[in-house]
Amino acid sequence: MSGGFQLVHAKPNRTAAILLSWFLFVLGIGLYVHAAQKRHQENAEDRVVPTIPHMLHSTYDAAFKPAEDDEQTIGENANIPQRFLAGMLWKDTKASARRFFYSLLLLIPAVFLGLHMGLFPYVGVFFSRFVLFFDKIIALSLLPILFIAFGIDELSKIMLIVIGVTPTIILDTFNLTRSVPQEQVVKAFTLGARDFDVAYRVILRQIAPRVLNSIRLNLKAVMLFLFAGEMIASTDGLAYRIALLRRHMGMDVIIPYVLWVALLLFLVDMTMRLINRKLHPWFREA
Amino acid sequence: MALIQFENVSVAYGAPSHPVLSNIDLSIEEGEFVCLLGQTGCGKSTLLRLVLGSEQPCAGRVLIDGVPHNQPDPTCGYVPQKYSLFPDKTVMGNITFGPEVSEFNLFTRLTPRYFRRRREFRQKAMQYIRRIGLQDADAHKYPDQLSGGMQQRVAIAQALVNRPRILLLDEAFSALDPGTRRDMQVLIRQLWRGTGVTLVFVTHNTHEALQLGTRVIVLARETPNHGSHVALDLAVPSSRPADEVSRIVARLDGAAGSAREPEEFTSAVGDSTPRDLAAARNLLPNGI
Repeated sequence: MSGGFQLVHAKPNRTAAILLSWFLFVLGIGLYVHAAQKRHQENAEDRVVPTIPHMLHSTYDAAFKPAEDDEQTIGENANIPQRFLAGMLWKDTKASARRFFYSLLLLIPAVFLGLHMGLFPYVGVFFSRFVLFFDKIIALSLLPILFIAFGIDELSKIMLIVIGVTPTIILDTFNLTRSVPQEQVVKAFTLGARDFDVAYRVILRQIAPRVLNSIRLNLKAVMLFLFAGEMIASTDGLAYRIALLRRHMGMDVIIPYVLWVALLLFLVDMTMRLINRKLHPWFREA
Repeated sequence: MALIQFENVSVAYGAPSHPVLSNIDLSIEEGEFVCLLGQTGCGKSTLLRLVLGSEQPCAGRVLIDGVPHNQPDPTCGYVPQKYSLFPDKTVMGNITFGPEVSEFNLFTRLTPRYFRRRREFRQKAMQYIRRIGLQDADAHKYPDQLSGGMQQRVAIAQALVNRPRILLLDEAFSALDPGTRRDMQVLIRQLWRGTGVTLVFVTHNTHEALQLGTRVIVLARETPNHGSHVALDLAVPSSRPADEVSRIVARLDGAAGSAREPEEFTSAVGDSTPRDLAAARNLLPNGI
């Protein structure tokens, strides 16, 4: 018989869980405020660690005023929604979100390819070696080729995301398809299913929640490639703005932008989890 | 003509010198309840998969109605031990899956006729749900909300709803507790009598095989490297009293060197396959 307290079985209650989970956020903010105050006591014009009021002021400007390089102007009598829609933050968010969602749409064929590769041996043999090789190519190293081939337009940035993320999604879907027990496939055929019934009504439905999870876990990679594309060649977008402001040491806008991107990704992640739960009530995550 | 015919069938994974099954000659008539009995690894499930068409022999042929059968189709219903239900579908969805895919493909499912027929499929499924002893409310549950016994009941209903000519059960009751297992044995006998389906039931439990089947086929290996062959083919009267079954089981298993009292076998669900079949055959009473 072993004695002693087992930490493995010590579960925090609700209050403790809330306090503990927010502690690092509060600590981080506290440390930042302290550092900002200290730097501003030494140099009132410090731009490296802007104070919270300074950042809030800059965020307000970013949200409700057009960018300096934007030719659009806002009338004196414009209301808050009109100001927001003409503002720099919204325009940058819209540009990045458009690229982001186009890229996500282009992942759908990747899912179908992985499904067919996993289920139909001939398709698997035809594509698997190529996809495995393709997966090893560093997408960012293709950037110059993409700019030459597709120009510095939208297409090259979207293609960068597609090339960077699709092989992972294809291979994930392929492995998930292969992991469906063979009994299920045989059973479906004995019930009168045809090849595509098995593919879409048996396998796809079973792997769908895990595929969505896989895409969800790759959202950060999608954003990474999107930011790389925007930072190098773009005239709008969140990453373009961050890269532009870096030259002017505009930390008062860069930090809110970084937090805004994290918040957006967090919301997309939460939404996808919610959709997954609603669409697949039978699914229990391991 | 026999419904299922094995003609000198051999199966090997890897080297043909190490077959799993060798030179199986076997025929199963329409309407029989055949129990395939044998130790773990003797090739019972392989034999079943040959009937199913999901596995091909390296020699010989498997015929259904005189025609070679080499891929799974609705001729055979199938209930495996695990993964017997589609986890993403409710009980209703699992049972109506067969009728739906048999009649409608991905595109014709979008027609008004499909929605009319779906109502009929659901009514039919509900009849099956009641017949297997489930409640109406269970129709909307997912497999993981059901007990193991309930899942296997649904799996049997799912396989029978398309009215296959042959129903194949691969150790379908092995993972169930003794009480549930007995209930399932009663159910499968009732369904077999009621539908007239030809039933092939794989088990490693001698008692279960003798109690359920009209015929028991025992697979055995002569040596470790030699594929299993049909060692014993018993016609079993279906009205055999339980104590007589227990006696036969005790003799078969006693011959295998595991001297257990007959009473123990009434509740035993573990591996009780005869090992020394020649000795067991000699011990069997006349008329079996």
